[in-house]
Amino acid sequence: MIRAIALASICAVAPMGAAAHQLTVFAATNCEMVTVEAKFSNGNPVMLADVRVLDGNNTLLLTLPINEDGTVAIPLDSVDHSGGLVIEVDTGSHDNYWIVTPDDIARSCQS
Amino acid sequence: MPLLRPFLAVVLTLLAANPVAAQDRSRVVAVNYPLQYFAERLAGDEAEVIFPVPADVDPSFWRPSIADISTIQSADLILLNGAGFATWVDRVSLPRAKVVNSTAAIEDQFIRTESITHSHGDGDEHSHEGLASYTWLDPILAIAQAEAVAAAITARGIAPDDAVATRLDALRADLAELDRQATGAFDGMQDIAMIATHPRYQYLAQRYGLSISSLEWEAGAMPTEAEQADLVALAAQTGAQVLIWEAAPPAEAFAVAAELGLANIVFPTLAQGVDDQTYIQAIANALTAISEAKP
Repeated sequence: MIRAIALASICAVAPMGAAAHQLTVFAATNCEMVTVEAKFSNGNPVMLADVRVLDGNNTLLLTLPINEDGTVAIPLDSVDHSGGLVIEVDTGSHDNYWIVTPDDIARSCQS
Repeated sequence: MPLLRPFLAVVLTLLAANPVAAQDRSRVVAVNYPLQYFAERLAGDEAEVIFPVPADVDPSFWRPSIADISTIQSADLILLNGAGFATWVDRVSLPRAKVVNSTAAIEDQFIRTESITHSHGDGDEHSHEGLASYTWLDPILAIAQAEAVAAAITARGIAPDDAVATRLDALRADLAELDRQATGAFDGMQDIAMIATHPRYQYLAQRYGLSISSLEWEAGAMPTEAEQADLVALAAQTGAQVLIWEAAPPAEAFAVAAELGLANIVFPTLAQGVDDQTYIQAIANALTAISEAKP
């Protein structure tokens, strides 16, 4: 029991949180598409996960399977991205997200 | 037309008397209340300081909306706490030139913690290292953070250098006074075991040589029977004489701890602000409570 309490106290020490660093999600935009990359904190790519694409109102626009290399490309013309996009990656045991704002997309079209 | 001229004169006079109102103020975003407080004191009226996290949400785990991030991206200065605080900052693109990590200069003093042990698929069990994040509960580290905020405000021309320097001197003095008060409050408590209802006080404990074990209770809530049993066990194991609450719970919860012989102390962790108290006042009040309740 005490060991469990001690463990709980150690586990919860960092507000960066357990879920925060187990799965890393990154999304890059190049004006034509959003490329999503997901990997575990040990560097291994996520091989099996659902990638959900939501709009600024948290409405689900699209769900895609992730590729075996831990990436997936989302063509911008396949979704209404005018209000930005939230990309969620869910492996079943871990999940994380990346936020793409309208400015991120606009900037990628200027460069 | 005869009426317009005096009207314009009045408007121009008012604008001249209040130059800040005559132009758009700089916008500064802070990821927690202490940084908001430091920035407001240091920037004065020259900046609008925004802490975007709703009052009922833990800023450590806040999930911003796209609109929130758009607002943050357009700020003139974005103040991060560092030390792993605020998970959302690693999930968005922030303009690098506007971002300042307020603990960059004190990373050598970070407290590392072990996180959850688990496995991925068929992989071996492993654990992740984390960082204790509540740096500002140590007044000395808070001074370093305030200095970083002051430097960021000055570097971006958000407020005049001499005004920021004067304000920083005052803030530094207040924080040094907190350190002096804490040194007195914790004097003689280095051999007294304490329990915290949440693991937030690592930097405070490190600074003043305290021994604080932690539970994982919801702030301000009545602990469940299972949580009370955990407290009984941990108190027996550690011989604790003090229970530190991050927020005041129902009176019944205080009674439970008191029956175990624990002195109850509320010490707000201040990631969110406390009603009607500034950062300085809240910590000073908590230190006063510790002095009065000292076993």
